[in-house]
Amino acid sequence: MSAPFFKFGMFSEEVGLIFAFAIGIGFGFFLERAGFNSAKKLTAQFYFTDLTVFKVMFTAIVTAMIGLYYLSVIGLVDLSLVYLTSTNLIPQVVGGLLLGFGFVIGGYCPGTSCVAAATGRLDAVVYLAGIIAGIFFYGEIYPLIESFTQLTPMGTLTIPEYIGLPYGLVVFLVVLMALGGFAGAEWVEKYMAARKEE
Amino acid sequence: MTHHPHGSKEPQPYWNPYVAGIGLGLVLLAAFVIMGRGLGASGAFSSLVSGAVNTVAPQHAQGNAFYSDYLGDGTQSPLNDWLVFEVLGVFVGGFISGILAHRVNKTVERGPRISVTGRMAYAFVGGAILGVGAKMAKGCMSGQALTGGALLNLGSWATMLSIFAGAYALAYFMRRQWI
Amino acid sequence: MKDFMRTLTLNKKLALVAFVLGFIALFAGNPYGSATVKMDTSELATIVQNELDHVDVGELAGWIILGKADYRLLDLRTGKEYEEYHIPGAENVPLTEFGNAGLMKNEKIVLYSEGGIHSAQAWMLLRAQGYKGVYMLRGGLEEWKDNILFPSLASNATPQEKAEFEKAVHVSRFFGGTPRTGDAAIAEGPKMDMPKLQMPAPAGKTPTAATGKKKKEGC
Repeated sequence: MSAPFFKFGMFSEEVGLIFAFAIGIGFGFFLERAGFNSAKKLTAQFYFTDLTVFKVMFTAIVTAMIGLYYLSVIGLVDLSLVYLTSTNLIPQVVGGLLLGFGFVIGGYCPGTSCVAAATGRLDAVVYLAGIIAGIFFYGEIYPLIESFTQLTPMGTLTIPEYIGLPYGLVVFLVVLMALGGFAGAEWVEKYMAARKEE
Repeated sequence: MTHHPHGSKEPQPYWNPYVAGIGLGLVLLAAFVIMGRGLGASGAFSSLVSGAVNTVAPQHAQGNAFYSDYLGDGTQSPLNDWLVFEVLGVFVGGFISGILAHRVNKTVERGPRISVTGRMAYAFVGGAILGVGAKMAKGCMSGQALTGGALLNLGSWATMLSIFAGAYALAYFMRRQWI
Repeated sequence: MKDFMRTLTLNKKLALVAFVLGFIALFAGNPYGSATVKMDTSELATIVQNELDHVDVGELAGWIILGKADYRLLDLRTGKEYEEYHIPGAENVPLTEFGNAGLMKNEKIVLYSEGGIHSAQAWMLLRAQGYKGVYMLRGGLEEWKDNILFPSLASNATPQEKAEFEKAVHVSRFFGGTPRTGDAAIAEGPKMDMPKLQMPAPAGKTPTAATGKKKKEGC
C-alpha cells in the first residue's frame, strides 16, 4: 500500500505543486470538452432542456468513487489518508443553497467560470470578480457569523458510516441511482425537445 | 460534421457527456491517488483575497480568523498553495481544449431576452452570492459536490442536494436571463 | 453474447460496465481495510536491538532550544496530564486519535509518555503501519524531568561532572526548571513542582509550521 503517493512522502510539496498544475489542466480540459465554458449550456440544466451538468457531474462522481473504492479494497490506496472535509450540516446546507442561487443567477461555478474566461467569455470574467468580492465580504463579516459556521459539527463522516450500511452497498446504491438518473435525464431531454417542436 | 476545405473555424460539437464525465472522474481519481486530496476551485480565490488583504492591511488580515487560515505562519506567500496552482491549470486546460475545438471567441453568454449590461450585473451579483455560499459550505461544486460526492462525504452530499435545490428554486425568477 | 454487445450503444455499454462494477462492490468488502497490517518482524527486531528507535532527552532539548521544526512531538497521555505540563511544542495525541492527526509516513515523529511503555507500544503500532520516521523519547517524561528540568549534582561530584552540570543548568533554566545541588535536594526527588507552561517559546517556528497552513487541504 503506497498511495496516496504524497502522503507516503514520495515527493516534496514543491513537486506537489507541479502535479496541482497538471491535474488542473486535466480538470479544465474535460470541463471544456463537456461544454461547460458556456453559461447558457450550464443553466439549461435548470430549465430541463439540457441536463449535461447532471450527466457529467454524476458520471465523474461514479467513476472516481468506483476507482477509489476498488483501489482501496485491493490495498493499493490507503483510503484513511485521503482528505475528507468535516461536516457542519446546517451551514453547509445554507451555503449550498447560496451556491445554487449564485449558479443560476451568475451562470457559472468557480471551476467552469475559469474555463469560460479562458475561452473568451467576458461575463465569466465579471463573474470571477464577483466571486472575489463575495469572498472579501465573507471575510469581513466572518467575526459576526463565525459561530453560525461552526453549528452542528459532525466531524468527518461518510454516508455509509452515518446510515450504518456497508461501504460497498452504498457504492452499489449510488451507481443504481446515477444510472436511473441518466435514464430519466435522457427521457426528459427528449420530451423537452419534442415539446419545443410543437 | 461538415468538412470545410479552407480550414474555417467551425466550433466542434461537445463530447458525449458521459465520456467527458469519465475523463473528469479519472482526473479526480488521479488527484486522490497522487496527492490524497480532491479537486477544488473556490479555495484558490480565498488565498488570493487573503493575500491581497494581508498586503494592504496585514494586522487586520492576521487578526481575522478567516483570512489568517489562508495566510499560514507568514513564511510563505498564500499563493504558494496547491489549489492556486491547480486553478491556474484549469485556465490553461480549458483554453487548450477550447483552441482545439475552435470554441475560443470573445462573447457574452446570455439568453435572448437580456442585454449585455443586464447580464454583466447578474454575473457579478451571482458570483458574489456564490462566493459567500462557497465559503460557508467549505467548498464549491468541485470541492464539495464532485470531490466529496465521490468520497461519499455526508456534508458534501448535503451541500450538493442544496445546490440543486437552490438553483431550481430560483430558476423561474431568472428565466428572462437564460431562455 | 457478442452480438448483444454489438447492439448496445456506447452509452449503454458504459452503463453496463458501471452496473457490473457497482454490483461487485456489494461483495468486495471494506475499503478501510488497513486496520490489519503486515509486520517485518526481523526488520523491527533489528531496529530495536540497535537502539535506532529512540531519541534521548538531551537531543530533544537541543532541538527545542535551536528551534528546529522538522519533527512532530506527540504526547500520548491524557488531556488533563497534558494540560498540567507538556514538553514545549508537543501535541496531545492519544493513541486512538492517530488517524486524525494527519501524520505523514515519512516525517520525523517523536513519541513520549510518562515512562516508556506506552510510547514503545505506540512506536511498534506506527512502525507496523509503515511510519518510517517514528522514534520514542528514551525514558519518557520521567527522564525529561530527571535530566533536563531538574538536573542534579551530587556533593561529591568530579570536576568534569561539575562542568557538565553547568551546561545542564542553562538548559534547565531555559525550560523553567530548577537544578538541584546537594544530596538532600536530590533525595527530595519527584516532589518538585513542575514548571508553569509559560516557558520561553522555542527560538524558531512552532512545530505546527511543519505542517504549513491549516487549510492546506480544504477546497
